[in-house]
Order: sequence, then structure tokens, then C-alpha cells
Amino acid sequence: MSAGPEHARRVRVWDPALRMFHWSLAALVIANILLGKFGPNVMTLHFWLGYAIIALLVFRLVWGFIGPEPARFGSFLRGPSAIVDYGRHLFRRQPSHSHGHNPIGAISALAMLIALGWQAVTGLMSDPEDFVNIGPLADNVGSATAKAAVGWHHAGANLVLILIGLHLAAILFYRVWKNEDLIRPMITGWKWVRGR
Amino acid sequence: MRLIALTATLATTLLPVLAHADAAEDALEARHGYMKMLALNMGTLSGMAKGEIAYDEAAASKAGSNIEALSGYAVADLFIEGTAMGEVDDSEALPAIWANPDQFAQKFAALSEAAAGAGEAVKGGQENVGPALQKLGGTCKDCHDDFRKK
Repeated sequence: MSAGPEHARRVRVWDPALRMFHWSLAALVIANILLGKFGPNVMTLHFWLGYAIIALLVFRLVWGFIGPEPARFGSFLRGPSAIVDYGRHLFRRQPSHSHGHNPIGAISALAMLIALGWQAVTGLMSDPEDFVNIGPLADNVGSATAKAAVGWHHAGANLVLILIGLHLAAILFYRVWKNEDLIRPMITGWKWVRGR
Repeated sequence: MRLIALTATLATTLLPVLAHADAAEDALEARHGYMKMLALNMGTLSGMAKGEIAYDEAAASKAGSNIEALSGYAVADLFIEGTAMGEVDDSEALPAIWANPDQFAQKFAALSEAAAGAGEAVKGGQENVGPALQKLGGTCKDCHDDFRKK
């Protein structure tokens, strides 16, 4: 192992359950976007992956309250001043050494959860009027809403794609510009953080 | 005399406009009726597939045959110019229909292909309804994706 910076130490920020959650979510979401856009017209598999994603989202919501410190909403969601302060130093060419999500990354993580929650709700409500790909809750929301939900679900998919693009761009930015590897910590759990 | 002349002039100038508006309205109404007929028969099959309606071989077969017959109708002809979404009230037809008429026609061809023999396919038991329905419904979805308002 290479020696780390003087003022940082290496700690276990991401617990195994959270890492498993992250990579399962990434795989399932990408698979479901591909299935949605290019998959078979009878979308059985898209539905099942969607249910699995809902289970993951429920886990993350619970973990955000009872999980370890870096996973908790209460610890990673920061106020406007912390966000502005972080943004001011964002372009410094040095690692953030954040103990988990940094204040801006936290917004991105939250946005991703909200967007996926939106996909879950609109997907469950959708009635594309084809008599085979009808969301299980379509009957409960009225036919006009169920029909409109198909459009909302399509728009939401584009939003998720944009968020994935931002996420990957941010990781590349940290790697190249700030010389900080964010991928390895999500695999091993270990990350260099500011001493505290 | 002047009045008659005026009326005649008005009639001859306005009539084509009115006739045109009628044609658009007729086409739209016919399209919606066509879709409604498909939906009613699909609804019968879907209800039986899900077990919400008791399986009845004769009723299932009739629904299947109706869809088969409907799919033979030259419905693409009802999508006349000027009836896209935004051009007339209640239309959900995307302009892509007129931009890609061949692709649009293909989607209906896919429906007739899927519907061929549907009246027979749903005979013989409730378990035969689901697969036939999925084959049909898949073609609905495929066309709605590209050519109907979302």
C-alpha cells in the first residue's frame, strides 16, 4: 500500500451492505434502462427488475436512518453554507478526503434516489394501453393519470440517464483533476479521509 | 337576388373548408372508434388471462377473431394529413406518423401478423389466452412507443 497524505488516514467509510446496494443498484438500473428502451415488447423482465430496484430503494431509505454514520441522511445531507463552502474549493487540485459523500455529492445521491423513486411510482402507475405492460397500481389511479404516467416514466428515464452521466463525470473529475479515486472505496470500503 | 348570390358565393368558398374539417373529424372519430373496438376485445382477453373474467371459449374466440378482422382494416388510411396532435383537438397522433409512413405501416402489419389465427389460438383453455394476448399487446406497445403521445 502506498503511503497516504500526512493529514489523512485510511478508514472504512462504506459498509458492505451499502457497497452491495450501490453495485446492485447500478447494475439493475442500467439493465432496466436498456430493457425499457430496447427490450422486448412484453416487459416482464423490466417489471421484475423494477421490483428489485424498489426493494433496494427501501433498504437505502432504512439504511439512511439506522445505517453506519456515512450512510445516514442526517450526517451526509448538509446545509447551504457547507455546500457553498465546499463548492468554493471544488476546483482545488487536491483530494477532498471526504468521510463519505461530500456536501455536493450528497445532493447528487439524493437526486438519484428521488429520481429512482419517481421511476418506481410512475412505473407502477403506468398504463400504456397495450393490455400486457400494465403497472400493478394503474387501476388505482384513474385511467387519465395511468396514461399520463407512461410519459412521466419516459421523462424520468431521461433524468436518470442525465444523473448517471453527471455521476460518472464527477468521478472522472475527481480522478483526473483532484487526484482522488472514488471507485476503489466503493469496492473495498476503505477510503482516505481527513483525520478526525 | 343579392342575398342568393352572396349565399352561393359563401357556400362555394366555405364548402371545401367545411368538407375538409369534416374529413379530419371523421378520420379522428373513426380512429378512436377503431382503437376502442380493439380495446374492448383486448379487454375481454386480458380479463380472461388474469382470471378476472371466467374463461369462455366461444367468447374468447370471438374476441380473437374480432381483433383478427380489425387488424385487416386499412387503418393507416385514416391518418390523413392535418390530424396530428396539436392540429386537431383530442388527437394523440405524433407527427412521426407522417414523417415515417413506412415504419408506421409496418407497425400495423405487425399487428395483423400477430392477430393472424388469434380466434383459434385462444381456444382450448384459459392458459392459451395469455400467450396470444401478449403477442397482440406487444404490437400495441411497440406502435404506441413511437407514434402516440406520451
